[in-house]
Amino acid sequence: MREITLTVNGERRKAMVKDNELLLDVLRDKLYVKSVKAACWRGECGLCTVLMNDRLVKSCLVLAVEADGAEILTAEGLVKDGEPSPIQKAFIEKGALQCGFCTPAFVISSHKLLTMNPNPSDEEIRSFLSGLICRCGTYNQIIEAIRGAQKAYASR
Amino acid sequence: MSFGSPWFTLPEFTYHKPKTLKEALELLDKYGEEAKVMAGGVGLLAFMKERLMAPSHVIDLKGVPELGQAIYKEGEGLTIGATVTLNELARYGPLKKFGALHDAVRDIADPIIRNRATLVGNLCEAIPWVDTPPALIALGAEVEIRSLKGERRVPVKDFIKGPVEIDLEPGELVTAVHVPEPRRNSRSRFIKYNTGSEFALVSVAANVVMDGGRVRDVSLVYGAVSSTPQVAVKAADALKSAEKPWEVLDEVGRIASEEVEAVSDVLASEEYRRHLIRVLTLRVLREVMG
Ligand SMILES: Cc1cc2nc3c(=O)[nH]c(=O)nc-3n(C[C@H](O)[C@H](O)[C@H](O)COP(=O)(O)OP(=O)(O)OC[C@H]3O[C@@H](n4cnc5c(N)ncnc54)[C@H](O)[C@@H]3O)c2cc1C
Ligand code: FES
Ligand code: FES
Repeated sequence: MREITLTVNGERRKAMVKDNELLLDVLRDKLYVKSVKAACWRGECGLCTVLMNDRLVKSCLVLAVEADGAEILTAEGLVKDGEPSPIQKAFIEKGALQCGFCTPAFVISSHKLLTMNPNPSDEEIRSFLSGLICRCGTYNQIIEAIRGAQKAYASR
Repeated sequence: MSFGSPWFTLPEFTYHKPKTLKEALELLDKYGEEAKVMAGGVGLLAFMKERLMAPSHVIDLKGVPELGQAIYKEGEGLTIGATVTLNELARYGPLKKFGALHDAVRDIADPIIRNRATLVGNLCEAIPWVDTPPALIALGAEVEIRSLKGERRVPVKDFIKGPVEIDLEPGELVTAVHVPEPRRNSRSRFIKYNTGSEFALVSVAANVVMDGGRVRDVSLVYGAVSSTPQVAVKAADALKSAEKPWEVLDEVGRIASEEVEAVSDVLASEEYRRHLIRVLTLRVLREVMG
């Protein structure tokens, strides 16, 4: 066991972890960041995606010890003073979800995309999000949601 | 959360994060076969979850700054350090000079995985269907290997010895892959054929050197067809000896499809793979010769 310190959604957190623990499991089970989901544990579904030091990673493919000292941002962290961020509102407005299981991963990834490029083409959106799976098939609505949030990012 | 299933957990090990190459080599020397190095961890953690590997020591290379660079020198070529990720490499301008590698790197897995997965890790994984080895072989790349005892260089073609089997002794580490400067009038491309999954059923890399209307030199390398990448020597000879190379492309594809080793597995039958080899050879040659 060793102690790691990480900043999760702006807050400094500590956790005791074993070297063989995954960041995914530590985020969910020790730090209670429940927006981070999992379906495959092998890098395929993308539901465990988080921003780590401003890079998207699949947290089932990262050791918790590797995240020592890192900054983690998840969908929870986009909410400011109880107010959902533009991308989160756009997901709701455009109905870009059905069961919602994949939503946090798509939200944080879309947020990253729009931060880098506020005006992506449909092709760029599809390619950027190609590592995430929505079993309910809301892909078209997700593209609309990104379009809907685009203005907010362009003016930042 | 992990439902106690071994498939979702990792066997126990001690994690090390050396800060210098020397420190990394000393750890490798000390733990020998007990140790595995980790770059992006994409492949390693997957193998460990499936209990195909269970090292007692995992040595993370990401803390060693000198392994994290891609450097291009005109006339010499491109040297890609062990922890350079596929995304970092894809964004590195000079990669465009190495067409086949540029094609291969940008189409691996997905952009999120490419934030972690490295070129050297992809090569060292040596699974038959990974994408970078055929491109690296066609471009004549070499692997730079270090241990406490010294260093050596091995062509990628000889480095891959079998499925998940590479020419690396305990205590040794790949520090970089070196891709030589492309020859004058040369052009290379990589094409992967996949359906449904990201894994190739067949992939092909071609590197040609043109000389007027003729092909002076050509390298044709196939991935995912057998346990190791396959080089089509007879097909290359047929193309080089042709006075009008454009007229023999069909024949070259046929020769390649008959000459290389191809296997049947759950993804495709041997017959289908040989068909794909023919078609893809034609397609890739049209691109590099055009
Ligand atoms: C969902 C998914 C999709 C994928 N799709 C593709 C695809 O389309 N095409 C493709 O080619 N691959 C694909 N892969 C495989 C992936 O690209 C490789 O697993 C990855 O490139 C490995 O790189 P890494 O840096 O993560 O290596 P690691 O996981 O860190 O290492 C892999 C292996 O190489 C060894 N190793 C690493 N670095 C060194 C070194 N410097 N010296 C000696 N040994 C070393 C490790 O010990 C380990 O055995 C996919 C993987 C996933 C999970
Ligand atoms: S749980 Fe990490 S990608 Fe599926
Ligand atoms: S909304 Fe159900 S998986 Fe995407």
